[in-house]
Amino acid sequence: MVLVDSPRFLASTISWTLKAGCVVHLVHEFVYEFTETRGESMLPTLQPKHDYVHALKKYRLGKGLKIGDCIVATKPSDPDQRVCKRITGMPGDIILIDPSSSSELTNSPSSCVYHDGFNKYIKVPEGHVWVTGDNLCHSLDSRSYSVLPMALIKGKIVAANSMDKGLRNSDGSFWFWNFRWITNTFVSE
Amino acid sequence: MSYFSGIYPGLRTGLITLSWLPVVYTFSNHVYQPCQISGMSMTPTFNPGVATTEKDIAIVQKFNVRRPNSLVRGDVVMFRSPQNPEKLLTKRVVGLQGDEILAKSPPYPKKVAKVPRNHLWVEGDNAFHSIDSNNFGPISQALVTGKVVAIVYPFSRFRADIRKGGRDARKPPDREDVKLLDDFE
Repeated sequence: MVLVDSPRFLASTISWTLKAGCVVHLVHEFVYEFTETRGESMLPTLQPKHDYVHALKKYRLGKGLKIGDCIVATKPSDPDQRVCKRITGMPGDIILIDPSSSSELTNSPSSCVYHDGFNKYIKVPEGHVWVTGDNLCHSLDSRSYSVLPMALIKGKIVAANSMDKGLRNSDGSFWFWNFRWITNTFVSE
Repeated sequence: MSYFSGIYPGLRTGLITLSWLPVVYTFSNHVYQPCQISGMSMTPTFNPGVATTEKDIAIVQKFNVRRPNSLVRGDVVMFRSPQNPEKLLTKRVVGLQGDEILAKSPPYPKKVAKVPRNHLWVEGDNAFHSIDSNNFGPISQALVTGKVVAIVYPFSRFRADIRKGGRDARKPPDREDVKLLDDFE
């Protein structure tokens, strides 16, 4: 009878499922994660929809990161959400917070003076980074929640896929769901 | 268990034990974990150094600590230092999001600190020997990794009450507010 064996079979199945689940979880947390991203804040690097990113977890807690790297981090003002941004300031750097808040193109003359965007600086403290989205016009980042503690960094984004693109591009040549490396775009002047 | 049945018995036991390691590690990361507390910033709650100089070992709850409103004033939390991500600190929650806190100034640049959304104001019980929110400001709740629920070692301190301690640092309501309420009535 099958039923005679079943308690033992059941126990073994459950324990192996548990073990495998934990291994997968640990890999996701400490080694590598492939996950969806949404939102306009990283245009043109990442699409607002259907984009998946490859994140290496070796860089968690900000280990070995440089200015210009793309990261995944927990949002300081909402621990349930994760954000994807680019590091634009390292500890000790002096950052001009938001010059666009005094841009004459988008602000009235009086608010240009009021915001004083060309004169507000911050020095990034030890253990923190300054992060901004690539799409500065549509990004909630360090300009609103200030410096990000490195302890909230979950990993570095090294590549991305667009899952709505398929195996051929518009010319008909092969590509793998628009696989592309995400590189460090920082240029030192 | 048949996978290991052909193997030398000692090796087999070893392999089975090894296969449970990821489960144990995940459990200690997300459910409960024993943790040794060093330093004297939380004296006399932890490491009072009176009967024994051994460091306290405490049980830390790892679930339901990062969710908004999951902590209350008086909880002892363990969190990653905002100044050094490798370092874990243990402090007491003194202010929750939205609270106005009478900070110790100096070192804090302002007299009254408003705790932002999903942030906490944390302080050590030993005010003279603690690096806490008075130095680095309110911390994001996302930095919290656990809540200390009990001391388990040394055994003599097993039943020590960890809920006592800390100060009520909330700013009392302004006199004018009270007066306005009186007028209203």
